[in-house]
Amino acid sequence: MLGLGADRLRADMNRLLALLFHQGVLDEQFLQLQQLQDESSPNFVSEVVNIYFHESEKLLRNLRGLLMEKEFADYKKMGIHLNQFMGSSSSIGAKRVRNVCVAFRAASEQTNRAGCLRALELLEHEYCYLKNKLHELFQIEQQRALAAGVRYPMQN
Amino acid sequence: MAALQRVAQSSVSTAGSSYAASGKAVLGSSAAVGNFLGGEKVVSDQFPVGLKVLVVDDDTTCLRIVEQMLRRCLYHVTTCSQATVALKLLREKKGGFDVVLSDVHMPDMDGYKLLELVGLEMDLPVIMMSADGRTRAVMRGIKHGACDYLIKPIREEELKNIWQHVVRKKWNENRDFEHSGSMEDNDRPKRVNEDTEYASSVNEETEGLKGQKKRSNYKEEDDGELENDDPSTSKKPRVVWSVELHQQFVSAVNQLGLDKAVPKRILELMNVPGLTRENVASHLQKFRLYLKRLSGGVPQQQSGISGTFCGSVESNVKLGSRGRFDIQALAASGQIPPQTLAALHAELLGRPAGNLVPAMDQPALLHASLQGPKRLPVEHCLTFGQPLVKGQSNIYKQFPQSIFSVEDVSSRYGAWTTNSLGTVGPSNNVGGASNPNSNLLMDILQQQRQQQQKQPPLQQQSVLPEPSRSINVQPSCLVVPSQSSASFQAGSPASVNQNSSFNRNSVIDYSILSPQSNNSALNVGHISNGDAKTSGVVCGYSAPGSSSTLSSCSLNADNSTGLQNSAATFVGDARQLPGIGPNIVDIQGSYSAKSGEILDQGPLKNLGFVGKGTFIPSRFAVDEYESPMSNLNPGKVHSESNGNLVKQEPSMDFGDNAKLGTPVFRQFPSNDLMSVFTK
Repeated sequence: MLGLGADRLRADMNRLLALLFHQGVLDEQFLQLQQLQDESSPNFVSEVVNIYFHESEKLLRNLRGLLMEKEFADYKKMGIHLNQFMGSSSSIGAKRVRNVCVAFRAASEQTNRAGCLRALELLEHEYCYLKNKLHELFQIEQQRALAAGVRYPMQN
Repeated sequence: MAALQRVAQSSVSTAGSSYAASGKAVLGSSAAVGNFLGGEKVVSDQFPVGLKVLVVDDDTTCLRIVEQMLRRCLYHVTTCSQATVALKLLREKKGGFDVVLSDVHMPDMDGYKLLELVGLEMDLPVIMMSADGRTRAVMRGIKHGACDYLIKPIREEELKNIWQHVVRKKWNENRDFEHSGSMEDNDRPKRVNEDTEYASSVNEETEGLKGQKKRSNYKEEDDGELENDDPSTSKKPRVVWSVELHQQFVSAVNQLGLDKAVPKRILELMNVPGLTRENVASHLQKFRLYLKRLSGGVPQQQSGISGTFCGSVESNVKLGSRGRFDIQALAASGQIPPQTLAALHAELLGRPAGNLVPAMDQPALLHASLQGPKRLPVEHCLTFGQPLVKGQSNIYKQFPQSIFSVEDVSSRYGAWTTNSLGTVGPSNNVGGASNPNSNLLMDILQQQRQQQQKQPPLQQQSVLPEPSRSINVQPSCLVVPSQSSASFQAGSPASVNQNSSFNRNSVIDYSILSPQSNNSALNVGHISNGDAKTSGVVCGYSAPGSSSTLSSCSLNADNSTGLQNSAATFVGDARQLPGIGPNIVDIQGSYSAKSGEILDQGPLKNLGFVGKGTFIPSRFAVDEYESPMSNLNPGKVHSESNGNLVKQEPSMDFGDNAKLGTPVFRQFPSNDLMSVFTK
């Protein structure tokens, strides 16, 4: 009984993951992340992703703040933020967020304010999408873990 | 007598203990790596397991992921989200880490800065990480000395492999240390660049335009980076710290006090247009690190660079300007085989005249003290040479001169010192090798030596000049790199002061050096009153008895009496040296029974180290031993002179800053000689 539920949930998860991969939201780095989860750190993926959300929101706030400066936007600082954002996004496999960051950085290096603003909008959008989808994923996984009576077994 | 001996013993033991302590420190820093690399026992089945990795990244997401990946590799991971904290950790736990993984962009400290500091202070392999994989960024990391540059996202496979950098680094060090000679060819291309740089600074006046052009190119290339002490990473000095500039810097630091010297104040005091606070700050950092290194005993490896500096350009110049005469004289005397002579000439002639000129005629660069000594050394040589070898006195004179010129040149290269900071280690050999010119000279000398050895031994006396030189060099360490220790000492009081600050460090250096030396017994002593010559005499005498032991004695000003025992001629020299308190003279060992005497005397006078640093020139002594009785009259002299040249250059660097530094360098060159000879 329980096992059936777990199987169904697992199928849901896989479907969702496949969708995210298909959309280019995630890449194989996310699978690496999942493989890093083991007995010693059973919640590794969600732990890291939560750190990522936390950091990213800070970065997004900072970026918006920098771009909203009336007189002069500190593009150098923006570049540093974007670099970090790129680093963390690529590390968890958030491919689309990362790609937007690249575009954003290019715009900021050209001190293209309009381009930066557009990129920021896009970035926020991509980020929200990613966050929602990952939350969904984690919820399914949690249910599955409950259903299986096991906490966070290896997905594969 | 017995009492004296006891005292002597005690002094020796103290010296020994201090060395031991420093030696321990050195070992400690490399112990971790040694665990993996050391001997057969080291390489266990699970080798990379337990590799101690420090990860620094302000991005906690990456930090967490990398940490987990490293855990999976069974590495021992320490994470840190702030560069300053990481630096503190690294400083507190020397030897606590094998490799450092660092992000490039961090708010509190640029990753490059951290990289530099780590490279300078602990010489650990540093791997940079960044999402920015553009060539420019990667190039910058490599120029700063990163041994690898990982582009985020970082994959587990990449991290699995990072142990290779630990091994490679260690391995390279060992190789440098062991096969100094064989490395020449490999290192040459790299060095050439450096040499050109140096040359530009040297010839500033004559070839001002060229040199400046070169330098400005370098500036553009790497904005604001420090030079790396590690020879394996090719970094270029951004600001050329000429001798003058460095002197200004040192005097500013002295004025402020080392502890209170901050870049801003130094900059104000120096009042040099075009110099930025950053330049001063980085130089100050290197300066401090250098001092620290001297005192802390760093395992070398980087010395190679310093050697190169001294290297080719200057030594050749010297020879060219004054050396020809000498060479010919030698040839005439039949001591130099025709081939070598031809080779030497080719070397000399190949050099642009411009180089020669600056070396000779730029007094401004030299310290005031140096200027005086220039002439003096010749005199010294004369005194030594004449009594010993009557016929060849001319030769001796010439050599000393050439040596001097070399020193002068080196003095001008204040900038080099920065590079050489790292280079306390054994790698000197490599450095020497890298300089093509110097190598040639060395080879020639070696050949000469060998030939001479074959010939019936001329006299023990021939040996004497060598020791004296070595001694001279050592005194130079005090203040002036020049060989004529006495004159120098007298001439440069200011330098003495500077030395005082350095002195503590110097002791450590010796200890470091001593392990390197091959001699069975190395006693390193410091002479507060530089009677380098006297000590040299002692060596010469003892040499005939050649035993493997090298004893360096530390002599106080009082030592003169001890010296008298050794040789009357030398005593005279000792007198020449006005008792300058701070001057330190190193005495290389005496080998035979005589050596025993020497030791006793030395220790008696000096209890422990006088406080001023000195180095241990033992290498020279070793060389002499190798060809123990054989007379290397001219040959030996040459070899020594070469060694001096090499040493001098480094000394110059230090001379400005720290006198202590010179000794170390000298030792290395001597090693080079040694290796050649042994072969």
